[in-house]
Amino acid sequence: MITVEGLTKKYGSTVAVDNLSFTVEPGVVTGFLGPNGSGKSTTMRCMIGLDRAQSGRALFDGKPYSSLRLPLHEVGTLLDAGNAHASRTARNHLRWVATSNGMPVKRVDEVLEIVGLQQVAKKRVGQFSLGMKQRLGIASVLLGDPRVVILDEPANGLDPEGIRWIREMLRHLATRGRAVLVSSHLLSEMALIADSLVVIGKGRLIEQCTVDQFISRHAKKWVVVRSPQLGTLVDLARAKGMQVVTNENTAEVHGVESAVVGELAAGNGIVLHELSTQTGSLEDAFLEATAMSVEYHGRSEAPE
Amino acid sequence: MIATIRSEWIKLRTVRSNVTTAIVATVISLAISLLSVTFMGESNIDSGTLPGLIVGWGPVAVLLIGVIGVLCITQEYSQGTIRLTLVATPSRLRVYLAKAVVVATVGAALTGAIVLLGNVVGSAIIDARDVPALDSNPDATPAFLAMILMGTVVAMLGMAIGALTRNPPSAITILVLWPLLVEGIVGGLISLALDDDVARWMPFQSGLISLSLELPEDGFGRWGSLGYFAAWVLFVSLIAERSLKRRDA
Repeated sequence: MITVEGLTKKYGSTVAVDNLSFTVEPGVVTGFLGPNGSGKSTTMRCMIGLDRAQSGRALFDGKPYSSLRLPLHEVGTLLDAGNAHASRTARNHLRWVATSNGMPVKRVDEVLEIVGLQQVAKKRVGQFSLGMKQRLGIASVLLGDPRVVILDEPANGLDPEGIRWIREMLRHLATRGRAVLVSSHLLSEMALIADSLVVIGKGRLIEQCTVDQFISRHAKKWVVVRSPQLGTLVDLARAKGMQVVTNENTAEVHGVESAVVGELAAGNGIVLHELSTQTGSLEDAFLEATAMSVEYHGRSEAPE
Repeated sequence: MIATIRSEWIKLRTVRSNVTTAIVATVISLAISLLSVTFMGESNIDSGTLPGLIVGWGPVAVLLIGVIGVLCITQEYSQGTIRLTLVATPSRLRVYLAKAVVVATVGAALTGAIVLLGNVVGSAIIDARDVPALDSNPDATPAFLAMILMGTVVAMLGMAIGALTRNPPSAITILVLWPLLVEGIVGGLISLALDDDVARWMPFQSGLISLSLELPEDGFGRWGSLGYFAAWVLFVSLIAERSLKRRDA
């Protein structure tokens, strides 16, 4: 498992990561969610010692990354799929990575097969599509069969098929008891991949919870009604202090359960053609949760 | 450490531009020396001719070897692989040392190949021509040894400059302008001001002096000159290693 404790990283006077603490448990996929520029990549770089944090630390099964002698056997990291030299072949790329941690070349061929790149193993990485590069990146993560996996925006730029492949790969790793941390700025993507969430904004922790908790806490819900006597129903609801938005044939009632609207209609003999609960999009929930912390929040300043 | 060195060796030889640079470094100076002994007037060939040509074109080979040193680290930054390197080997000192061992060995191997091939093929060419039998030149062996050591030291200098700038063009520019321009200007100005020849205090010039067959009277001697240059390279390397350790990757 991963424990991040009070991590702080400043670039000059800009605070990129601000006293961030969270844990990543084995056996689940933890989504690391935040708007672009919220400090996800910086946090990951600090966790594995590429960037120096001013304070705080990250522990992998109790040990800091820098103390791992053969780190690829314990932590698999994919930061940027472009981290391969364009003029090396895929196989040679994985060979130097494997060799640095004492793994045999046989292991390179194994992971090439797992990620489905054995056909193009002798092609230069420069000729790869983004999807193939991501697969190569995943291959380098799998080399040491690590207990902890960290991936930064692995679904970025992938087609739906590629995203499904990544999702299945991460699910598979989690089922085998690995601790998986995967970042994204898209909640819809996370909702498909992750079980648990670490949500940050402006480098600060907003919350750590399950995906379902996050959605039920932040996604808006409202009741949609359709009725031949819509005008009467709307007046009654407003009289009860409910918030109602009327459309052409329907009305949206906010802040109450559908049962309340149904009972109100029945009690007054109003015929309903539709009574349903709608949920706002995941993106809206995410924006609402992080609205306060988005760094470049659009402000509407009307000139006087 | 052995695993890191092996990994660095795979990295160096699996990029085509590195291999091309190595071949160019070897072939250019070798070809010029061999063509010269082929077409030179027979009466001008003496026991110092072939060794003189080999060490005379040595600086060209040595500078190109320095470029390999530059590339081995700057291409990691330009291609982003430095992150994967440091993720795989968190000890930055170990990464630096492993790279240094690899480029220094490559530097020695390439200059060694130039010396060996130059002598074997060059002597065969001279033997085939109508030249009276030549004595062996007593200064040749130490000069050849100095050339091989220069290949090692300049490879490490290139790497140190590369680690500091992290950018191939600027590192190569510094590496090439240092001996060709900077030391010439600085040395020239100081010489004018002090009315004294300070060339021997210029690090790169001093290193190149060690390649001469006939050493200047007032210098530090062959090994002194080379040692003085090596001390400078060690100094730059220490700064470079410190920079690699301190800066974010």
